[in-house]
Amino acid sequence: MSTVSDRLQCVVVTPERTLFDQPVDFVALPLYDGELGVAPGRAPLIGRLGFGEMRTNVGGVTHRYFLDGGFAQVRENVVTVLTNRAIPAEQIDPAAAAAELERAKAQPAPTEAEQAAKMRAVERARAQVHIASKRG
Amino acid sequence: MAKARAIIKRRKSVQNIRKITRTMELIATARFKKAFDRATEAEAYTRKIAEIVADLGATGASISHPLLAVREPVKTERMLILTSNRGLAGGYNGNVLRAATLAYQSAATDGINVTFDIVGKRGITYAKFRGLKPESTYTTFEDRPQFAEVEVLANQYIQLYTSGQIDRLEVAYTRFISSSRQEATVQTLLPMTASQVGESTARHRTGTATKETPTRHGERVPYEFLPDAESILEEIVPVSFKVRLFKCFLDAAVSEQISRMVAMRGATENADEMVKSLTMLYNRARQAQITRELAEIIGGAAALK
Repeated sequence: MSTVSDRLQCVVVTPERTLFDQPVDFVALPLYDGELGVAPGRAPLIGRLGFGEMRTNVGGVTHRYFLDGGFAQVRENVVTVLTNRAIPAEQIDPAAAAAELERAKAQPAPTEAEQAAKMRAVERARAQVHIASKRG
Repeated sequence: MAKARAIIKRRKSVQNIRKITRTMELIATARFKKAFDRATEAEAYTRKIAEIVADLGATGASISHPLLAVREPVKTERMLILTSNRGLAGGYNGNVLRAATLAYQSAATDGINVTFDIVGKRGITYAKFRGLKPESTYTTFEDRPQFAEVEVLANQYIQLYTSGQIDRLEVAYTRFISSSRQEATVQTLLPMTASQVGESTARHRTGTATKETPTRHGERVPYEFLPDAESILEEIVPVSFKVRLFKCFLDAAVSEQISRMVAMRGATENADEMVKSLTMLYNRARQAQITRELAEIIGGAAALK
């Protein structure tokens, strides 16, 4: 481990396959209540993810992904992200994301459960729009 | 030559059928490899979930979630039947439907109201034949089930279960045990049990799993939980259910291709045998004809003397 102790291994797993598995210098994770930065040597952690942006930094180059909820585990310089979907930021269609947000907002939600579902959908769409608009 | 000609014709058609079954076998083999790889790749997720649940369980956190609540007595049940869209897969669909029918009959004698959801054209036709009315039918799941599609279905079931419209969810599908053994089973997915949440669905003992084993047992890792162990566990329950349902679809897809492969291999072998016996028959018929003609010529020549 001594040779890789100054780097993080970042693994992104979706139910379908392992999307991403490579060493990085830094990872920023979208936790349920805000962003969490993970640098090498981080204490072990298990956290719930929200909808948002994951950033990885490899040698000064930043890659951005949209994460659709899930969980993150940090242990011994291995960051494991379990998520339903991880979409690279450049693959998000801003127009489609905006339309999705409008649709989610317009959804009537009379019951409490539906209200919660609507909130999630809106949050999710908003995060996508945000990430898509940041590109540039 | 009339009889010999007819035999040649038959042999030709058997040869053509052999070509088709052989091609189908090759296609099924290729699809099986793809489906199998997908299923193997999908296991990384469940393995990780199981690991996290084990870590969370070590903190002594207890899970309580609506999806774990057992309701007695069971009054309504939803049965999801996974069949294929195409036939020529040997006993694949028949076995699943038989298992489903048996489960349905035993549930019906217990006074449970069973409704159906059917995936695959074969199952839909069967339901029509039996006069059953499925709640909804799906034909979009091919040999590459997508998680996004399955998730929609899973959310529907979660909603149905938590709102009390169904007390139990059963899935009739073909479980993949090994590439030489698949089994049609009916599995209860809801309510889940606490042990199922953390159960790894891994079945292939691949070498990739050994990477983490040295630290997995023994010392406990002092995790920091965000927000806290219990609420993470609660969040994991629905995810675990979705993954289990997804695994059923993956298993069914792999098993379908294997059944088709085996069925088509059998058909090709039978066609080979038939070609051989028809060739023999043809040679005999031809020989008989030559002998007969010779006898006629000799007979004619003898009569002229």
